[in-house]
Amino acid sequence: MSVSEIIDSLRKGRIPPLGLIPDNVLDFLARLTSWRGRRSELSTIERLLATMRHKEPDHVPCAPLVGGAYRQLTGASFREFSLDPNVAIEAGLLGLEVIGGDVLLLGLDLTVEASDFGQTTIYPENSTAHPDYANPLIKDYTDYRKLKRIELKSAPRMQKVVEMSRRALKEKGLSAVFVPVVSSPLSVLAMMRSAERVFKDCVLYPAEVMAAMETVTGVLIDYINALCDTGLVIIAPDMLFAAKSGLGKELWEKMEGPFGREIAEVIHRRNCLVAIHNCGDGPYFDSMVRFMEPEAISFACLPDDCKDRKELKKKYGDQTTFIGNVETPLLYRGSPQQVMEECKKVIDDLAEGGGFILAPGCEYPPNANLLNAIILVQAARIYG
Amino acid sequence: MNSEKNKEVLNSVEKAVQEHNADELNKSIDQAGKQEIPTTEIRQALFQGLEHLRKKLFTPEMPLPKFLLSLDVLHQGLKRLSSAEESEKSRAIPVVIGVVEGDPHDLGKNIISRIYAASGYQVYDLGTRVPVDAFINSVKEKQAKVLALSSMISTTMMQMPEIIKRVKAISPDTVIMVGGAPLDLNLAKSFGADGYAESAVMVLEETEAAMERVSAKEKW
Repeated sequence: MSVSEIIDSLRKGRIPPLGLIPDNVLDFLARLTSWRGRRSELSTIERLLATMRHKEPDHVPCAPLVGGAYRQLTGASFREFSLDPNVAIEAGLLGLEVIGGDVLLLGLDLTVEASDFGQTTIYPENSTAHPDYANPLIKDYTDYRKLKRIELKSAPRMQKVVEMSRRALKEKGLSAVFVPVVSSPLSVLAMMRSAERVFKDCVLYPAEVMAAMETVTGVLIDYINALCDTGLVIIAPDMLFAAKSGLGKELWEKMEGPFGREIAEVIHRRNCLVAIHNCGDGPYFDSMVRFMEPEAISFACLPDDCKDRKELKKKYGDQTTFIGNVETPLLYRGSPQQVMEECKKVIDDLAEGGGFILAPGCEYPPNANLLNAIILVQAARIYG
Repeated sequence: MNSEKNKEVLNSVEKAVQEHNADELNKSIDQAGKQEIPTTEIRQALFQGLEHLRKKLFTPEMPLPKFLLSLDVLHQGLKRLSSAEESEKSRAIPVVIGVVEGDPHDLGKNIISRIYAASGYQVYDLGTRVPVDAFINSVKEKQAKVLALSSMISTTMMQMPEIIKRVKAISPDTVIMVGGAPLDLNLAKSFGADGYAESAVMVLEETEAAMERVSAKEKW
């Protein structure tokens, strides 16, 4: 893709597919942007481009990772937010205006993929949606092989997220980067059987679980392709179980790692970037980098092989961009001053030389006061 | 000679838990019965097996899935011993445990519940989505010395302060432990809990420390 084609795409209000731009051109643009950022304020796209090419922007970008919490701005219930994509996207776009930030999460809740497979889902008015665990779709290990592949056209909830992407890009094309979170194959199965049973099945019946993961991955790939078709440039696979609090490393690499690789390859083939989300305890950065080559990793806790953030920066800073890792309980209970101080610490540890986006470790607590989301955005401007 | 043989059987009970081998555990418990090994010693061996694993939980040697399988095997062992243990129940510390209303996530609660059971507590597991009143009634009815509350969702977590306040009003000496992904130590303190366990690895030690604090009326 030539420079004139890039400019043409930007004129049309679209971020050009980054994978089509040669590395040397991206690096040149990032250097130029970084230089300009020392003198004037950058746009969101420029800021993200600079940091993801490991150059320092005007200030660190911020991804407040607000999902369901934005419904507070419109007075919508959790149920309305989950079931009506117009409610969700209107709340999100309003949040972008009111609270700011460089990244807007696109999604309804964590049950989207599983409910399209047929898992009964409960949508409370005052809390986040969850599967009806009393009525799991996969009742015993023999059901894994019975899981049927679904067509995207008959997957209403995934279609709703695709619709949200289209609308977000149409209305606010370049004002933020829109990022949908796609559950990992094992996370989808956990919604249809419970995490505990899936964990045990991975040891006792690995072939059955693998067969189901293959089915799920096929559907997730269709979903990712449909999301990429809308013009998105970053997709965030949620790899929760690639962590000490999930599967053991060896087991993850054997079971889900290959499917993670397949998913990442599809995203890269579509010239989009992979931004893994993993809010598990002790995430396996080494495995995720090896299997999925992510351009960014959003994380809550330190990886299993790093004792502090400085070691993390030294070990993985040149391999990926960090998104994180302000503690979510602090966002819930902390005063704005405490949040500001914590953001400063995170920025001090991770921002030097680029490759960093300030964010909560996980989704912004959906019922927390939104004031601390504003503080996150402000902290990135002030200390970043 | 007998004590040597008994030790061998008890070791095999411990090993069966560690290797999550239910068949081996059943055989070992049968053998222990034949050798008239007291139930308390078999139980102790089950507990030793779990303790060994609990300290290594989340390490490459003891990943969570294997720990869960060992807990299942341990649970089966405890069930087999339960009838023999009925007489001991009056001496065990009663614990009421459950996940707060609206929250269906039971993985963490199940692990903690089984660790308590294996460690000599008398566990009353109320399950998931437990209404506030059910916790209060159960604490009263079972005269719980410990109430363990779990929540994995920040929205449902907000019931904890009310539960804690109401339990403390009727039973000030009941030790209230909280845990779950959206919580941290400071949040647990601000809710009025007596203790907080970040994970299963330290739950017993944290519970004991909280019991000592409450009994000595020390501020946390």
